[in-house]
Amino acid sequence: MSTSVSPDAARVWRAARAPLVIVFAVLATAVVLSLSRSGDGGALDPESATEDGSRAVARLLGAQGVTVEARHSSRGLDARGATLFVTRPDLVDPGTLRTLTREAASVVLLAPSQDTLDAVAPGIAEVGPLAEEVRRPGCALPAAVAAGGVTLGGTDYAAVLTCYDGALATDGAVTVLGGPAPLTNARLDEEGNAALALRVLGGHERLVWYLPSPGDPALRGEEALTDLLPDAWVFGAAQVGVAAVLLALWRARRLGPVVSEPLPVVVRAAETVEGRARLYRRGGAADHAAEALRRASIERLLSALGLPCDAEPAAVVAAIAARTGRDTAALLYGPPPADDAALVRLADELDALENEVRL
Amino acid sequence: MALTARTPLLALAGALVVALLAPTLAGVLAVCAVILAGVVADLLFAGSVRALTFSRDGATSVRLGERAEVRLRVTNPGRRTVRGVLRDAWQPSAGAETDRHRVAVPPGQARTLTTVLRPTRRGDRLAHRVTVRAVGPLGLAARQGSHEVPWAVRALPPFHSRRHLPGRLDRLRRLDGRSAAHVRGQGTEFDSLREYVLGDDVRSIDWRATARTADVMVRTWRPERDRHVLLVLDTGRTAAGRIGDGTRLDAAMDAALLLAALASRAGDRVDLLAYDRGVRASVQGVAAAQLLPSLVTAMAPLEPELVESDARGLVGEVLRRTRRRSLVVLLTGLDPAPLEEGLLPVLPSLTARHRLLVAAVADPAVAQLARGRGDADAVYGAAAAERTLAERAHVTALLARHGAEVVDAVPDRLPPALADRYLDLKAAGRL
Repeated sequence: MSTSVSPDAARVWRAARAPLVIVFAVLATAVVLSLSRSGDGGALDPESATEDGSRAVARLLGAQGVTVEARHSSRGLDARGATLFVTRPDLVDPGTLRTLTREAASVVLLAPSQDTLDAVAPGIAEVGPLAEEVRRPGCALPAAVAAGGVTLGGTDYAAVLTCYDGALATDGAVTVLGGPAPLTNARLDEEGNAALALRVLGGHERLVWYLPSPGDPALRGEEALTDLLPDAWVFGAAQVGVAAVLLALWRARRLGPVVSEPLPVVVRAAETVEGRARLYRRGGAADHAAEALRRASIERLLSALGLPCDAEPAAVVAAIAARTGRDTAALLYGPPPADDAALVRLADELDALENEVRL
Repeated sequence: MALTARTPLLALAGALVVALLAPTLAGVLAVCAVILAGVVADLLFAGSVRALTFSRDGATSVRLGERAEVRLRVTNPGRRTVRGVLRDAWQPSAGAETDRHRVAVPPGQARTLTTVLRPTRRGDRLAHRVTVRAVGPLGLAARQGSHEVPWAVRALPPFHSRRHLPGRLDRLRRLDGRSAAHVRGQGTEFDSLREYVLGDDVRSIDWRATARTADVMVRTWRPERDRHVLLVLDTGRTAAGRIGDGTRLDAAMDAALLLAALASRAGDRVDLLAYDRGVRASVQGVAAAQLLPSLVTAMAPLEPELVESDARGLVGEVLRRTRRRSLVVLLTGLDPAPLEEGLLPVLPSLTARHRLLVAAVADPAVAQLARGRGDADAVYGAAAAERTLAERAHVTALLARHGAEVVDAVPDRLPPALADRYLDLKAAGRL
């Protein structure tokens, strides 16, 4: 008779409910955590309260009457008459950045590379890296003079007007900062960091805080292939993807489980003999090997010569000498061979002797 | 559930529809919805796999290397036809030639499928599961389910040495006095007198009877009948050694079967005992006609166990089973350590009451290794092999000193050698 072993609906539900509860719990935890820690964000995010965030400076600016607008995309970004602060200018397409720079009343760029500088501030040149430490202004820029010592570093720039050993440079309305240190939550209260930040970013009533992020159409080299393809190809490919998934599902479903085979443990019977041979070889036991070969040969010779099993060596040698006229005392009972080559020769000589006696 | 090849093909065709008619997300979703509806409809309207009932009949045993047919009857008590693929899964070593069958069982009817097996290993080969994939009316998706339908086919030892049997039976008949009485052993019983024919042993001429009649008369002798032969298979670790294609145990079984066939024809009673640390198989008191089938059935599931055989327990078991004097044939290895430490101390209690014949399976690879010459590796191999052969010779001499006979031969030669030794013993009246 037969019994069905496929799970029915009740068994499927019983088996699936524990994993479902776990998945639900993980998702719920993730949602709760993301809601409770919404202040977290990336570095220099004006909403982020982490050490690298900039919520503190944004609040200070707000208290000073400056409206801070955080933007993650160039789409709908309007910087006219405002201060534009770009946290990662190298990500933005130079053309877009130039347009934005022209519109804004003043622009603050954080650690731009030479490419970006060529597009927006040709008067500033990148020199090299600079250690982050407390630096003196060393220039006549009012903001710097008012702020005094500031934690700054990162990149060194050369321009007509540079402060803090080149870590701050200006060219017209464009101000370039070598590093993010004075703007972060962690460093804002050190030295004159806050004063410099407020003066550099708070020059106008409105501050547009631009954080280039993935999905921003102005990102450099971000013209995706999908934008160039006609819709028919895109959605046709999506449907082909669905077909591929179904193909995988079709092939992946086995017709019943794999059947296992309980195999008996089997060892080659000659394994121990071969193991002993390797031990002889590794140990260089030419004497033991020669002993075994000689004894086997003598046993065979005894039966060929019709001698008893316990015949004396002298009697054996004499009987062989009588049969073949050879003196074999050294061959059969002599000292063991010194090396492998001598052992091989001994084996061949024993074979030759046996053949001779039998003939 | 399971999908068929049609589902991805339909989805691929859907790609054309999406690209040409509706290149939007809605188009993709619409095509997917159509496919999903088809799959759900198929699952709803496919025949029920769970309700199917199965039963088996057919072969329960087969000689290794031959084919067996097992039939599977599928009954569909449901309301819809079950149409699709059925897989009758067996262990790989059962050697099922085709385990997949197309089935179409209308409601309330039954179909019979035949699975052909050609087992590749001795022992009980088990059926695993029957899995059915019942495809729906659209052929897009199928219900799939499995049933346990237990069945076992016992693959019997092949008995390759059968070919040696006619020759040995010939020799037995000559012993029996029905042909010429070449051989006259001590302890044989007097059978009858008949006229001398050329070729008879002159020593068997009965001179008194010759004097009474005109012809020269010879006595014929009949060897003893109704002796007891106990075959003991050692299934311990030494039996696990692989020699050529099979294990030592396989060779021992072959030899045991030939001897059993011969002895039962000679009118002796044959029993079997397989032992390592306990009784693995036992055949006792079976009539001659049923002997070979019982023996192969008992031997079929035996596998070597990786344990040291318990010689003391084995001898105790043998003594417990045999009341009168018997020929005990012990099929084992000739490894010095287990024999010297296990068997030799308890050997006297066995040889005091019974005649012991030890049959050992030798390895042709060792003899070949002993002939190795030419380079250091080969000569060291030869030395190791000679050492092993010397140890076997030593153990043989020890056993002989304790009154046991030893037959040591390679797997091919062991069955006839053992049978010949048995006939020698019988001829000499030493059973």
